[in-house]
Amino acid sequence: MTQQIIKSESINHKRWRKFKSLKRGYYSFILIITLYILSLFLPLFINSKALVVQYEGDYYFPAFSEVIPWVSTYYDGNMFGQDIPGAANFRQLQKSWDDSDNWLIMPIYPFNTFEDITNNENRMYEPPSTTHWLGTDNTGRDVLARMCYAFNISISFAFVLTVLNFIIGISIGGAMGYFGGKFDLFFQRFIEIWSSLPLLFVVIIISSIIQPSFALLIFIYTMVNWIFLTYYMRAEFYREKSKDYVSAAISMGQSDTKIIFKHILPNSLIPVITYFPFSMVGGILVLVSLDFLGFGLPPPTPSWGQILYVGLSNITKWWMVFSPIMAQFFTLLCIVFIGEGLREAFDPKIYSRLR
Amino acid sequence: MFNYVIRRLLLMIPTFLGATLLVFVILQMAPGGPLEKTIMQIQMGSTNGGGGEGGATSSGSTSGAGTLLPKRAIKELERFYGFDKPVWQRYLIWLGVWEREIKHRNLTFKSGETEVKKNMGKRRYAYVKKNGAKLEVYDKEGNISTLWTARFDMDISDAEIINFEELKSSGKLQDIPKLEATIFETEYSGILTGNLGKSYTYQQPVIEVMKPRFKVSILLGLTGLLISYLVCIPLGIKKALNHGSKFDLLSSAIIFMAYSIPGWAFGGVLLVLFGGGSFWDVFPLGGLHSPQEIWVNLSFFEKIFDQIHHAILPIIAWTIGSFAVLTVLMKNSLLDTMSQDYIRTAFAKGLSEKRVIWVHAVRNSVIPIASGIGHIIATIIAGSYFIEMIFNINGFGKMGFQAILDRDYPITMGFLVIAVIIRLIANLLSDLALAAVDPRIRFK
Repeated sequence: MTQQIIKSESINHKRWRKFKSLKRGYYSFILIITLYILSLFLPLFINSKALVVQYEGDYYFPAFSEVIPWVSTYYDGNMFGQDIPGAANFRQLQKSWDDSDNWLIMPIYPFNTFEDITNNENRMYEPPSTTHWLGTDNTGRDVLARMCYAFNISISFAFVLTVLNFIIGISIGGAMGYFGGKFDLFFQRFIEIWSSLPLLFVVIIISSIIQPSFALLIFIYTMVNWIFLTYYMRAEFYREKSKDYVSAAISMGQSDTKIIFKHILPNSLIPVITYFPFSMVGGILVLVSLDFLGFGLPPPTPSWGQILYVGLSNITKWWMVFSPIMAQFFTLLCIVFIGEGLREAFDPKIYSRLR
Repeated sequence: MFNYVIRRLLLMIPTFLGATLLVFVILQMAPGGPLEKTIMQIQMGSTNGGGGEGGATSSGSTSGAGTLLPKRAIKELERFYGFDKPVWQRYLIWLGVWEREIKHRNLTFKSGETEVKKNMGKRRYAYVKKNGAKLEVYDKEGNISTLWTARFDMDISDAEIINFEELKSSGKLQDIPKLEATIFETEYSGILTGNLGKSYTYQQPVIEVMKPRFKVSILLGLTGLLISYLVCIPLGIKKALNHGSKFDLLSSAIIFMAYSIPGWAFGGVLLVLFGGGSFWDVFPLGGLHSPQEIWVNLSFFEKIFDQIHHAILPIIAWTIGSFAVLTVLMKNSLLDTMSQDYIRTAFAKGLSEKRVIWVHAVRNSVIPIASGIGHIIATIIAGSYFIEMIFNINGFGKMGFQAILDRDYPITMGFLVIAVIIRLIANLLSDLALAAVDPRIRFK
């Protein structure tokens, strides 16, 4: 008789299977992850620099220089025999090299986020066309290019912000619930003060004083936003601490650190994960709002909020209103779907039907 | 219950103080405040410097364009904006528990003088006597004045002030020609006495600036609130009763969309579509009523129509903001209730479906909605500034936002005070509302 060991499926594996079976959430998840990974290599798809240049027998790879951080991204016009001051204009090169041995391959969408009207062929407020798919903005920059780069920035921002919020919120909330006493009381007062402030207003005040960078904006917003998880974690730790297995661990003389990290945390952490996507939605919205008000990332940074602002101040330039709103809308919709799927997978509620 | 409310109200005091102190300190310590802004404006020679110049212009403008301001003028500006005191004192003054100095007048001691008679206007005179490094003020009867206080207003030490004459004659302190002092009245006036200060930009008391704008926001917010409740609660109930049906799925799609687009951004879309840009010209672009010159000639009913016409888009945008959350909350809460045992019991004993749903289930499932009311009231204030910005409505939120841009600290703080108070009271309200609909909850 052969002994067959049937390994029972772990709870996390079950959850993952359940999540995968919810198509809407699962496909959204794959879509967002793919798009985000692709957006890390955006300079290869949307860029005014050529992918490959063959000039007088030598090969150059200008676009790749932007993906590799330690390589200089500057290519002088003189390098390719172009008679213009400053950086090379590859789109012009492509035209002028039609009947020569030199050749180059442009990325799929040959515009970058920063070229404005100072580049001779760009014009302000061009409506969508086959050259500029989503038109150009108030300084002649290509809207589609800016939108795509903004996608990368928005997701990165929301992700970093959410992770930081979670780390701080979980640690402080957990410590409040576990240790209780004066520590708990102090932070409860503190949180009450924080939560009575209009937080966006405070962020705007701070951003109006110091021009925020990516890191600073994350810092400011983490400062005001970590509290929302503490409520949940505090209650969770408080409840878990009174359970028998924790008493058993204490009576065995285990240290606080071990009890917190090995026993309680894994038990109370899982439901928190379902908040993650919704917190990311919040992060993206905050960045759009702040950029819209002009208190977000410093000006030339591509951002949805900034495009939206230009669009709404020139109401006839509809493409600058619809594009960012649609982009934001679909991104958020995907993330909400992921969140919904996660919630379903982690916390399956079976509602009894009336009849 | 009564005790509970009292205790909650008392707990609000430290929270309120903490919250306002925090923002006050951030504002006051910030570089580029109103003081720097005004100094810069004067030095740039700008004549229309919108920032509050108020009582300080006279000394500032004499210095002329493009030149550095004299020390004296900077000092007066500092005094005007209240920056001549340490931060903690400024906060206490702002609260109204520390003396605020008002109606400053300058006076100088000529060499050898120890007493100066100062004309304080309205035929009143103050007699200021030098006593060491301190100044004493007497009225004309020779009693110590209760109205005025005086002090030296110089950058030298007390010892130098006392021995000013000797130091002067021995050739030191060449750049200081004479002793300068200031005489002023004091009063207790701060937010505790209902004085929120005077706006730098509007040159009006903060309360006067806030009143009309607050009305606008409340009107907009309450209408939006009412509409979203009227839509969301029935919708949520219908969705819960038909859980999994076509109607449920279809409305869920709309709810997901509404959740993924913030109300103000949706307002922007509406504006582009219906505001007469490139598409349809159905609704006005912004404001709360037509321009003044048209508005005054309208009849009563035309005015009402005009106002509604202007308010439709902002209110839709406002409602969208809370639409998704409220509906889902209502639906889930009712679904939860429907799976409870007592509902099964009610069915089992043969009650009609209508009675079970409307009398037994719905009543219990509005509990979470009731507890959300405080939060929603709070967002009337917080959420409104984007919508007010987009639709160009002169509301409370837009005022607060503009105040930050203009470095108008009295308005900024006034906005904050109102927002914090509303939040605190809204929290209490939602707890009370919870107790009102849920008899199981008893606060002690």
